[in-house]
Amino acid sequence: MSIPPISGISAAMPAAVTQPPQTMPVSDGGAGFGTSLASAVDGLQAMQSTSSALAIKAVTGDLSDVHDYTIAATQASVAMELTATIRNRAVDAFNEIMRMQA
Amino acid sequence: MGTFAAIGIAGSGLDVYRRWLDAVSDNLANINTIRPTGEAAFQARYIVAESIDNEGGNSGGVQATGVALGSAEGRLVYEPNHPLADEQGYVRYPDVDMSSQMVQLIQAQRGYQANAAVIDRAKDMYSTALTIGRN
Repeated sequence: MSIPPISGISAAMPAAVTQPPQTMPVSDGGAGFGTSLASAVDGLQAMQSTSSALAIKAVTGDLSDVHDYTIAATQASVAMELTATIRNRAVDAFNEIMRMQA
Repeated sequence: MGTFAAIGIAGSGLDVYRRWLDAVSDNLANINTIRPTGEAAFQARYIVAESIDNEGGNSGGVQATGVALGSAEGRLVYEPNHPLADEQGYVRYPDVDMSSQMVQLIQAQRGYQANAAVIDRAKDMYSTALTIGRN
C-alpha cells in the first residue's frame, strides 16, 4: 500500500528538491583547491620579492620612483591579506565539517 | 594585473605626474640660464601624456610618450654689462614663464596627490571586500 505524498508541500517545493539528490563529483575537489591556493601563494611570493627588491633599491639609492616601492608594498600586503582570508575561510569550513557529529 | 587594476592605473598616473614635476623643476632651474645670442636658448620641457587603451585585456591608465620642447629662440634682453652680451649688448634668456611654471607645479602636485588618494581608497576597498562575511 502506497502512502500518498502531502500534496500541499509537494506543490510548493520545486521539483528538483523532491527528487533524490544527484551524486556530486567530489573526486578532485580537494586537490583543485590545494593547487589554486599554491598558485596564489606563488603569486604572492612574486609580489613580495618585487617589493623587497624595490626596498633594496630604495636604500641603495637606485630607486627612480618613490611610488614604485609603496605601490608594490601595498599590492603585496593586500594580496597577503587576500590569501590569508582564503586560507582562513577554508580552514573554517573544514572545522565546521569536523564538528559534525551524530 | 586584473585583481588590483585600480592601483596599477593610479600608479601610471603617479608616474606621469612625477615626470611633469621633473620637467617643471628643470624649467624653473634654468629660468635664468643665459646664452649668447649666437646660441640657442634653453628649451622648456613639456611632458606629452597619452591614455593607454583599456580594451583587449589592458587595464588602461596613462603614459608619458615623450617630451615636447619649447622655443629655442627665447627672448633677447638688453644687458650690455653681461659677459655673454653681443656687440649690441643683447643676451638670450629662455622663453620660460615663471607664473605658468608655478601653476604647472601646483597642477602636478595636485594630480599626484589625487592619484595617491585613489591608491589609498582602492586599498581600503579591497580590504573592505575581504571583511565580507567575516561575522
